[in-house]
Amino acid sequence: MTSLLEVRDLHKRYGETEVLKGVSLALERGQSKVVMGPSGTGKSTLLRCINHLNPPDAGTVLLDGEELTARNLNAMRQQIGFVFQDFNLFTHLRALDNVRIGPMKILGTDRKEATELAMTELDRVGLADKADSYPAELSGGQQQRVSIARALAMQPKVILFDEPTSALDPELTGEVVSVMKQLASDGMTMLVVSHELGFARSAADEIVFMDGGHIIEQGPPDRLFTAPEHERTRSFLQVIAAHDHEGDGGTA
Amino acid sequence: MDDGAIWSVIVSQMPYLLTGLWIGIKLLAALLAVGLVLGLVIALMEVYGHWSLKVLGILFERVFRGIPAIVLLLLFYYGVGGYVELSSFAAAVLALGLRSTAYQSQIFRGAIQAVPQGQLVAARAMGMSMPRAIGEIVLPQALRHATGPWTNEFSSELKATSLAYVIGVVELTRQAKYIISNTQGNILLIFAVVGLLYFIVNWAGNRVLYRLEDRLAVPGFERRDAA
Repeated sequence: MTSLLEVRDLHKRYGETEVLKGVSLALERGQSKVVMGPSGTGKSTLLRCINHLNPPDAGTVLLDGEELTARNLNAMRQQIGFVFQDFNLFTHLRALDNVRIGPMKILGTDRKEATELAMTELDRVGLADKADSYPAELSGGQQQRVSIARALAMQPKVILFDEPTSALDPELTGEVVSVMKQLASDGMTMLVVSHELGFARSAADEIVFMDGGHIIEQGPPDRLFTAPEHERTRSFLQVIAAHDHEGDGGTA
Repeated sequence: MDDGAIWSVIVSQMPYLLTGLWIGIKLLAALLAVGLVLGLVIALMEVYGHWSLKVLGILFERVFRGIPAIVLLLLFYYGVGGYVELSSFAAAVLALGLRSTAYQSQIFRGAIQAVPQGQLVAARAMGMSMPRAIGEIVLPQALRHATGPWTNEFSSELKATSLAYVIGVVELTRQAKYIISNTQGNILLIFAVVGLLYFIVNWAGNRVLYRLEDRLAVPGFERRDAA
């Protein structure tokens, strides 16, 4: 059986710097993986290469066995949700319109059905009562939850999260993490770049540790957190854990 | 001349002035429309187009911003008009419209570039095509940024319509000149009334555009002076 998302030998270079040096990864249906690693390691680049926001120099991305190419880009992206670090909600649209614009303008769903769907997804992230608010009227945590609802409304096969809580104050991180945990337990397939230990420990099926443009090792959180194979992984996770403890991490 | 005679001149000549004003307003509407459509096209070319289109856009902008309006009017009326049948009104629409295109393309380019890159990226990441993402996400935001500077352009161009005088468009300023010839004198009075008419149209137009700006304002896009 083919994996839902399969990434084979991705390479990406910016000028002189090779950011991805051959990254391969597979995500099964309903699985959630968290990518961790020092900054500048290519984690965000990996996500952006997967949906070709930054097209990779070499390597392939397969969704349900179908390869992403320049020709089927829009059709494939419709099935790959993306949640940004700085939310990127459409500033001129109310929360409801942010969530229903995808189904309405991309998938051709009629207005009534798209509205119902959007309200369902807003409810799922706990923001049905903010449907008429503009992004500027929402807190960072609320904006990120709306952006998750926006991704969900496209009914994607997988959602990529690019440091979804990094731009948030610790007290707002919790509400986003709990929505993500709920999604994971609902069986959504998720690939998450984050140092958020609350999510990694309790909701991730696997942790992927990256360093220097490579995947160093990956495995279930229990094993990786307690008995990593590589010294590099161990020291990094130690630093993260210490930092998380100290700042109390805001984990829910 | 006593006061009564002055007023009777104004009253009797008012229909001519209003006819001239109406021509001026039609000229304004036409040249702004030309500038709006072509200005947007050039702005989009400059922001999203191939480098050759950018060069073309910038070249156009430089030429039409670098030549005085009166010279453009004469060039189009006597130059282009020498090859194709062109009424003085049409020549004025072309000359002033293309000049306005250059200015409006700058307004729109700046407004498009003021929309954060992440907005387009988010739309594209959802699988929106480029034209749709520009139409649904970038332009609605850019046009909100553009209404303020565009109001300025409206005022400039209203006043520029009086320059069409030089190629014989019978707009407000030329009507005034006719009236002055026919009534021997009254120069100061007639031009004062003409000035007032321009002022009133400008004031009313600005009111309408400010109201539009208010109506389009959403949280995050408030009018700068409203904050």
